[in-house]
Amino acid sequence: MGATILFESEAKSDIHVLDAAWSSPDTFAFVPDKLTISTDWLNAALDSLPNHLARNHFALLTSGSTGRPKLIVAERQRAESMARLLDEVQLGAAATQTIVTLPLTYCYAFVNQWLWARVNNRKLILTAGFSDPDALDREFERAQDAMLCLVGAQVPLLISLMEKARFPGIVRLHFAGGQFPQEHLDSIRDFFPNAMIFNNYGCAEAMPRLSVRLADATIPASNIGRPLPGIEFSTDTDGSLLFRSPFCASAFVEEDELTLTEQSAWIATGDFGRVTDDGSFELQGRRLEVFKRYGEKVSLPQILATVQLSWKGEAALFREKDGGGEDGCVLVLAPHPEDAESRLILRDFRKHHSRAQWPLRIEGSDHIPKLQNGKIDTSGLSVLENKTTYWRQRI
Amino acid sequence: MSNHEQLRQLILDILLLGPEEYSLELCRDQVETWDSLSVVSIAVGLNETFGYHPTPSEATAIHCVNDVISLLEAKGISFGD
Repeated sequence: MGATILFESEAKSDIHVLDAAWSSPDTFAFVPDKLTISTDWLNAALDSLPNHLARNHFALLTSGSTGRPKLIVAERQRAESMARLLDEVQLGAAATQTIVTLPLTYCYAFVNQWLWARVNNRKLILTAGFSDPDALDREFERAQDAMLCLVGAQVPLLISLMEKARFPGIVRLHFAGGQFPQEHLDSIRDFFPNAMIFNNYGCAEAMPRLSVRLADATIPASNIGRPLPGIEFSTDTDGSLLFRSPFCASAFVEEDELTLTEQSAWIATGDFGRVTDDGSFELQGRRLEVFKRYGEKVSLPQILATVQLSWKGEAALFREKDGGGEDGCVLVLAPHPEDAESRLILRDFRKHHSRAQWPLRIEGSDHIPKLQNGKIDTSGLSVLENKTTYWRQRI
Repeated sequence: MSNHEQLRQLILDILLLGPEEYSLELCRDQVETWDSLSVVSIAVGLNETFGYHPTPSEATAIHCVNDVISLLEAKGISFGD
């Protein structure tokens, strides 16, 4: 069928190329310049789409459950409806422009920013993100009633590269693509004193948003609020969080297999979750972030949430088996904690978790290793040099 | 560091106690973290710290800190410091 492949650099050079692709009836794929898959694979995946997906759709790449790329195919009309809905649900923070700091090929930036600007007739400001902090600083300074979309991993960069700056022209600030950076909420409010700050939840299959709630220091980051109008959440018997959405993707291709999705179908988010007493939903970890230890469920996000009750630095966990071959995890803090600080963390472990849920060790390091996309390099954590062990279990 | 102090540090570390909670009379039923896994942890910790690994029956017979001292003293490890 020969669907068009549009590379990010083409759109960066001339954003009208992306507009033209969107206006053309033919389905197109919008992908990063550096692909971890071959263009042959991409072409084959696009060629495998049935006729009804070959027009009026678009495709983006995301990480699949195996870590290999997954091609998500979505209908343009549904995505436009989502972009309009996103604008409607953020009352009180009217934005006239949006500043892009993330790759536009991310589903989050693509729908929340590029498409949002297009369908709501707002200004789109492209930047090189934190790879050019001076230019970004100038854009933030110039911003007027602007909306900004960040991921939590960018906050330490913001703090270290734009120390004590204030950007009153940002009126909406979104976080998505990982756990909300609750531990930095005070600093974020200092940087963006006029911004309404939102904790977004979704996934590429949802294209991409499922819930949006105002950030609140008294509500844990794992609480994602209620689903957006028209969207439903449910949980499976094993605690998997499912969604049903009229805006969902139409199909995805993973490991050479095409899967068609229906708007009426319940789709797994890839997270575990539960309904809280007030009807909001709480995440209990990615499927890969939850495991059993001595028969007890261990949720890495919940362990991190406990750490963040007292620890204001960076924290990350990696999986490791204990001496008996039982699954466990190791907590790494950066910078190195004082003795009193690690004691406070241990106090909170005792208060909120059973021994089986405590990490095997607490280690300290100068830094937490990151991947190119800003997410934590968990495989690098285990082999990090110059770590110090501050506490350990004896089993 | 005296043996008393080493034992104190070990117990605080394994049971995640605050310093004010520790005493020689501290018993298993007074601390919620003194669970079955901690019994194993205490045995491993005693071996690491004092070079004696209690047998399973000795480990499960430990009900308070004083029991640990009695056990170790019976093995020739002095707490007269």
